[in-house]
Amino acid sequence: MASHFSGVLQLTDLDDFITPSQECVKPVKVVKKQGKSVAKIQIEDDGSYVQVNQDGGKQKLERAKITLNDCLACSGCITSAESVLITQQSHEELLKVLQNNKTKETEQKVVVVSVSPQSRASLAAHYKLSSSEAGRRLTSFLKGLGVHHVFDTSFSRTFSLLESQREFLERFSRKEQDSKALPMLTSACPGWICYAEKTHGEYILPYISTTRSPQQMMGSLVKGYFAEQQGLSPQQIYHVAVMPCFDKKLEASRSDFYLEEAETREVDCVITSGEVQKMMEEQNVCLSDVEPAALDTMFSSVCEDEFLSHSGSGSGGYLHHVFTNAAKQLFGEEVKELTYKTLRNKDFQEVRLEKDGAVLLCFASTYGFRNIQNLVQKLKRGKSPYHFVEVMACPSGCLNGGGQIKPSSNQNQKDFLHQVEELYKAERPLLPENDTKVAELYKTWLHTLGEERAKELLHTKYHTVEKMTNGLTIKW
Amino acid sequence: MSAGVQLENANPVIFQRSGERLPTASEEDGDVHDPIDDREIFDLIRSINDPEHPLSLEELNVVEQVRVQVNDPESTVSVEFTPTIPHCSMATLIGLSIKVKLLRSLPDRFKIDVHITPGTHASEEAVNKQLGDKERVAAALENSSLLEVVNQCLSSRTI
Amino acid sequence: MKEALAEVQRISAHPDSRCWFVSWSPNGALLASCGGDKAIRIWGREGDLWVCKTVLQDGHQRTVRKVAWSPCGNYLASASFDATTCIWKKKNDDFESLTVLEGHENEVKCVAWAPSGNLLATCSRDKSVWVWEVDEDEEYECVTVLNSHTQDVKHVAWHPTKELLASASYDNNICIYKEDDDDWECQATLQGHTSTVWSLCFDAAGERMASCSDDRTVKIWKEYPSDSGQGVFLVDSDLSWKCVCTLSGYHGRTVYDVAWCQLTGALATASGDDAVRVFKEDVTASPDEPVFSLVAQVTRAHNQDVNCVSWNPKEAGLLASCSDNGEIAIWRFKEED
Repeated sequence: MASHFSGVLQLTDLDDFITPSQECVKPVKVVKKQGKSVAKIQIEDDGSYVQVNQDGGKQKLERAKITLNDCLACSGCITSAESVLITQQSHEELLKVLQNNKTKETEQKVVVVSVSPQSRASLAAHYKLSSSEAGRRLTSFLKGLGVHHVFDTSFSRTFSLLESQREFLERFSRKEQDSKALPMLTSACPGWICYAEKTHGEYILPYISTTRSPQQMMGSLVKGYFAEQQGLSPQQIYHVAVMPCFDKKLEASRSDFYLEEAETREVDCVITSGEVQKMMEEQNVCLSDVEPAALDTMFSSVCEDEFLSHSGSGSGGYLHHVFTNAAKQLFGEEVKELTYKTLRNKDFQEVRLEKDGAVLLCFASTYGFRNIQNLVQKLKRGKSPYHFVEVMACPSGCLNGGGQIKPSSNQNQKDFLHQVEELYKAERPLLPENDTKVAELYKTWLHTLGEERAKELLHTKYHTVEKMTNGLTIKW
Repeated sequence: MSAGVQLENANPVIFQRSGERLPTASEEDGDVHDPIDDREIFDLIRSINDPEHPLSLEELNVVEQVRVQVNDPESTVSVEFTPTIPHCSMATLIGLSIKVKLLRSLPDRFKIDVHITPGTHASEEAVNKQLGDKERVAAALENSSLLEVVNQCLSSRTI
Repeated sequence: MKEALAEVQRISAHPDSRCWFVSWSPNGALLASCGGDKAIRIWGREGDLWVCKTVLQDGHQRTVRKVAWSPCGNYLASASFDATTCIWKKKNDDFESLTVLEGHENEVKCVAWAPSGNLLATCSRDKSVWVWEVDEDEEYECVTVLNSHTQDVKHVAWHPTKELLASASYDNNICIYKEDDDDWECQATLQGHTSTVWSLCFDAAGERMASCSDDRTVKIWKEYPSDSGQGVFLVDSDLSWKCVCTLSGYHGRTVYDVAWCQLTGALATASGDDAVRVFKEDVTASPDEPVFSLVAQVTRAHNQDVNCVSWNPKEAGLLASCSDNGEIAIWRFKEED
């Protein structure tokens, strides 16, 4: 089976192309019921297992289920076998929820879909539309299916960028006392996070920015602020994210993003740009034929009917925004344009702020596994000259994510990617600090919650995954 | 296996152990060249413990004397073993234990092949290939956690 | 067939352990061996005999699987089951550990230097092939990570003149890679062996490649420009490889290594049947259908599996082999005509 995960995850034991039913070695806890005597287990014609008690009573036995979360917590094998993903996070799940809303009185859900700007650009390239045009038509398509709200993760990314800027200034201020304050490594790429947690653990994790990714910022907004505004419990909302990347499904499944009290995830389901395209094909819909709809403005970065975006890379522009902010706040320098110097390859670039021959700031972007490797090794040897690194698992970053729509057979991969990049950049950039709606939310919502709660909603934690040492389950 | 963990085959069928073999007169005579035979190989492996049950491979019918083939002049030994269930995830570990026991016990000249009895395991081919790869076996035996489990399988039972 | 392989010397090189691999230095003066005792030994000639000059210990925590000399002969790289690759620098008669390359998830199975000496390839059970670049400061950086195999990668070998890399795997395939616009790419996947491909090597001109396998065969692959219509295994690249000859029926068990003598064109094999064999090509056969015949074999070259064979690059016919019993044997191959 061809894997859809980013190259990073394919290298680690995470992705062994094993389906859990046969080879997963995750020990299943058996809840022993007290006082029961010996019973027989019988296999029925339909393949289900039935326990036959001594008194002849029958009881259907539950199947052991391996959840995505089990996979994430386990270093034993795998994956995140794709079959697990498919059962828990797919467009079929979304359709099931929508169907349920139509046919049943109970368990009605308010369905919210948050679309990433990278997915919008991918759909735009495939259907030969502008990015905003694709967004308007996608809104229309989704609402036609019964989705209640369609939001834009550029909006939640504004929070990610602002928090990253603040976090960097804070880390920079304690760089003398804390050797792990810098370089600050970005955290928006879940493939990178998964790799760091599973293979480099305690060594690398302190460097990683605690700021939530745009997807999970939106999780806070939708299941927190939005639920409250609508008078709904978080569980009554079904929140779907449309992302350029399969690894984002893993991110949504992290226990850190599970709301214990409400028994729900902040993002219930992640579907990729490619899956959205598939969904349309299944319904015989061509996006270019769909009537555009007005945009939901509540959680979207829009100016009239055009989407707004951020400057910098197609992977969120973290380097750009943290750099310009730090230059201004720390050194009083207004940087209008950043000069990217390509190092070993196009996916390894450097930006510096220099004054009188001294290097004040040294930032880098490292995309793809080979560059991540060199970064990690440099850090381990204490040879990293960087203050900040934008790290992404995929070569060329998020616009080239594994979940993006593939070029058609007559299209060149590189040309197609170039088109997606152009469409993405065509959205007019907005400075995060100039977003009045976001500023308003900081004031009215986050401020009233108190510093600690606000931090929980805007930041997250990482956990070292211990290597398996159980001899029974070691793969050799 | 650790507590709280479900056995894959919680109720295996248990078979009678074969009797102890008495040495023949010629075997006791040190001057007579005594070729290694099937029964000797079987005696080496029948007492290997199952990784999951407090039972020997013989008691679980995982190994049988008829599935052992020795050719002393050619210096070859071939053993087939039969996992208790076709999806047994312990199959590679059992095979590894058998292989290690024979590697440790037999003269270096022997070529030892350990296979799954044809048709008795879902991943038969993959398991056979792994057991046949001496580089993988050598690397596995340098893994202390894995070696510990293998050694447990090979230790004489203390119950 | 007359005995054409004469034993020169037999050395207990890695006692009570396996000797996994031997490699001649580029000038043929030194032989490096490595094994299950985690050590690397360097052998040099004194009079008629090869003696141990130095032992490199403490570089690795587990078995040293393979060693490789840099083309200049001043560096030695060692690949180990401890997931690392060590680079050793020659200082007079001794070696010092220069750097340790980390990154592979588990056992590193092979290491090889490109002819330029600026690139190094490694492969591992983690299914990946890595290319590293050396800069002027002797710093190593990862240039690419290639995930074309679906299983354990057993061996990597560079083309003798071009920057072209080949890898052999437990997935029964051979992959050929080259640099293409900013990154390395798998250019061809060669299918044909029916079990693990253990090793491969190029001929002196780099036009052909020999591979050996657990399927007990040796295959000869020839490079064709892709427009010739002869290559059948790949699309979308400028050259292709086609299997032009299969040597089967000679080996009783797995063929662990194959070595193509750059001086004489003789092909030596190491097998799990304890034998060392030498094949020669029939010069009259068509280059598209080459014929190789067995010209020498020692059926009990060692009393356990033979893991490796290596031709001395300067002294024609001088062959080293090593075995699971920890021995190295030095042979002289004499052609009988």
